[in-house]
Amino acid sequence: MALTTAPDPTRRGSGSVRPDAKRRGTGRIRHGEGLAGYVFLSPWLIGLMGITAIPMLLSLYLSFTNYDILTPLSEVEWVGLANYERMFTSDPSWWHSVRVTLSFALIAVPLKLAAALGVALLLNRAWRGVGLFRGLFYLPSLLGGSVALAIVWVNMFNRDGAFNSFLALFGIEGKPWVNDPDWALETLMVLAIWQFGAPMVIFLAGLKQVPTELYEAASVDGAGRFRQFVNVTLPMLSPVIFFNLVLETINGFQGFTAAFVLSNGTGGPVDSTLMYTLNLYITGFTDLEMGYASAMAWVFLLAIALITVVFFSTGRFWVHYSDGEDS
Amino acid sequence: MHPATHPTASAPDGRTYRTPQLRRRLLRGLLAAVVALPLVGMAAACGDDAGSDGKTKISIFWWGGDARAQLTEQALDLYTQKNPDVTFEKTWQANQGYFDKLATLTAGGNPPDIFQIDDNFLAEYAARNTTLDLKPYQDSGKLDTTKFPPSLLQYGVVDGKLAGVASGENTQGLVYNKTLLVKNDLPEPTTGMSWEEHIAWAEQVSKKTGVPGTQDPSADYKAFWVWLRQQGKDLYSGTDLGFTAEDVTKWFELWKGARDRGATPTPDVIHEGNATDITKQLVVTGKSATSWVWVNQMPELKKNTTDELGVIAYPGDPSGQWARASMYWSVFRGSKNADIAVDVINFLANDPDAVKLLGTDRGLPSNLDLRRVVSDDTTDEAMKQSIAVETELAESFGESPQVPIKGHSKVRAELTKAAENAQYGRATPAEAAAQFVEACKAAIAS
Repeated sequence: MALTTAPDPTRRGSGSVRPDAKRRGTGRIRHGEGLAGYVFLSPWLIGLMGITAIPMLLSLYLSFTNYDILTPLSEVEWVGLANYERMFTSDPSWWHSVRVTLSFALIAVPLKLAAALGVALLLNRAWRGVGLFRGLFYLPSLLGGSVALAIVWVNMFNRDGAFNSFLALFGIEGKPWVNDPDWALETLMVLAIWQFGAPMVIFLAGLKQVPTELYEAASVDGAGRFRQFVNVTLPMLSPVIFFNLVLETINGFQGFTAAFVLSNGTGGPVDSTLMYTLNLYITGFTDLEMGYASAMAWVFLLAIALITVVFFSTGRFWVHYSDGEDS
Repeated sequence: MHPATHPTASAPDGRTYRTPQLRRRLLRGLLAAVVALPLVGMAAACGDDAGSDGKTKISIFWWGGDARAQLTEQALDLYTQKNPDVTFEKTWQANQGYFDKLATLTAGGNPPDIFQIDDNFLAEYAARNTTLDLKPYQDSGKLDTTKFPPSLLQYGVVDGKLAGVASGENTQGLVYNKTLLVKNDLPEPTTGMSWEEHIAWAEQVSKKTGVPGTQDPSADYKAFWVWLRQQGKDLYSGTDLGFTAEDVTKWFELWKGARDRGATPTPDVIHEGNATDITKQLVVTGKSATSWVWVNQMPELKKNTTDELGVIAYPGDPSGQWARASMYWSVFRGSKNADIAVDVINFLANDPDAVKLLGTDRGLPSNLDLRRVVSDDTTDEAMKQSIAVETELAESFGESPQVPIKGHSKVRAELTKAAENAQYGRATPAEAAAQFVEACKAAIAS
């Protein structure tokens, strides 16, 4: 924008002094502004259209076909709702992956948020060296979806990994966590929870926004720490909690990398880590059933959208915006 | 900016409107650049086929490690030396993700002229007409297969079309840890032992050494396949399964017995060994005395352990094994340079210098005359060993089965899932077998 508009903060106000000149001036400027706007937007716009919007619409189309990647697009057959029907009626592994993903998100997301909030509360003090701790706790989430981290995790939690050596110090015999179908998914949950740094930083920022007068007033009224937390901190923080909840839920549903690495791309042992996205990937790229995989992706998109809508519609009952505009 | 001066269009402020033309030019320039960028990209992408100066560029894609890349590149350079008009665009990568990439390239309308493929996917590609039928080239002599073992050649035929040319031959091999056995005064296993004898031997190894005697191969399709052939069955028969749920139950029960006797590792270790990755095979990680692999993997396995390894056929009648194409070269059906691509494949299979360069990296050379030359020349001990064993086994090979059908990769995954269900005790062998057969039927029907 800086290229075309005068960087003069007073322009808007001054317009009232000379309305004619202003109208003519801004009209012309707007014209150039619009063009420049699109020019500067174009890398993103081309990206959005070419890399996101068009492929998305294409995948919507493909979800009604039997596309298998190798056959040219011009030769695919329209199969109507067959893919969607198959998903709901005759694909046990689809239902299985839905269950795996739901249990992952239902357990990992709340625990991750609780850990993030807890640590943020601890680190919201003026201790010496608190900055270092903030950095250290934030670090794991920087490594987010990294493959290297997942490999480290697998090595830490296999039968002769570091975690079992640690347990052995207390005379506890560990399990082959990542290779045990009863524990593999739990291991992934722990990995997700451990990466609580991103929501933690946002919580920290939110905590800083809570006016100290409120705490002072509360303590004058005789509220203890716990009371203050429940009646001041939580309501004041609710927009941030809401934001983190929505974001982390979406992230939780989309977990892929760790499950892929842990199971060598199979979802094993015995499908215990067959997350929805991993199942989708295997269906599309290993089994070459891209039409069916597209249908799976669209159902997934709708499910996440639905969950988000539910969050937003319940939000007005518990999210408190301090500017008074409840929305 | 100074608050007192407000710029308007009619009274251009020095800073803002001094150069409207410049601005316009700049905008146009930007716009042009934005529009041109993708075009440049396209032009660069189109540059591959070149050909305007009489030169042809053949794209070729394979999976493998550094060693294979080096050997293959040298062999291709040799081709360019002899045919200066032909150059190569070589792409290679690790096995994991290779077929994703190949499928994506094909979908994008940009597949390589020549690609490496194996029997897990050959039928998938051939059934969808992605591979060029090489029969006409074979008939016209442009592709010389006269020195190939007939059964090896046959193993590249799908629906009557020659979909791929074996770039090497291998067969199933049971690799065992010789050092461990010698140290503990235990007999080495031998080809021709029955499955029961093998399990009894493994039990003895477990008891005496503390290292589980044998990896449980119930999740391994190639072991299951050999066993089926020994029972007079097969993995596939036409477009259907070549076995029944009862066969699978017997197979799973055989190995349940072995686990109960302590002949195998625990389920989680078996699961580790079920990865196809060579470095994770239990015989080299020291978690089992044997692993079920392909004979030509011996040199690679050897690199991952200091112990001495031996290799024999899988248990039971060795005629259950066959001359399997370890991998093939295939040509993309839409290739603009198909004739040259076929000539390159012919060169890689039949040129004495190229074959000598490539050695046994992809398996024993398909050309029998040159196979002899290579085995006489090699100095690599592990390679010598695998050549010797395979040459010996070749005398008892049975007929090649049909190439695995479309849906095979899913069948393999389902076998692993079912076998592991039984191993972890989450299902009885009969339940796991029933699940497996049902899932297979769905996989090959679609």
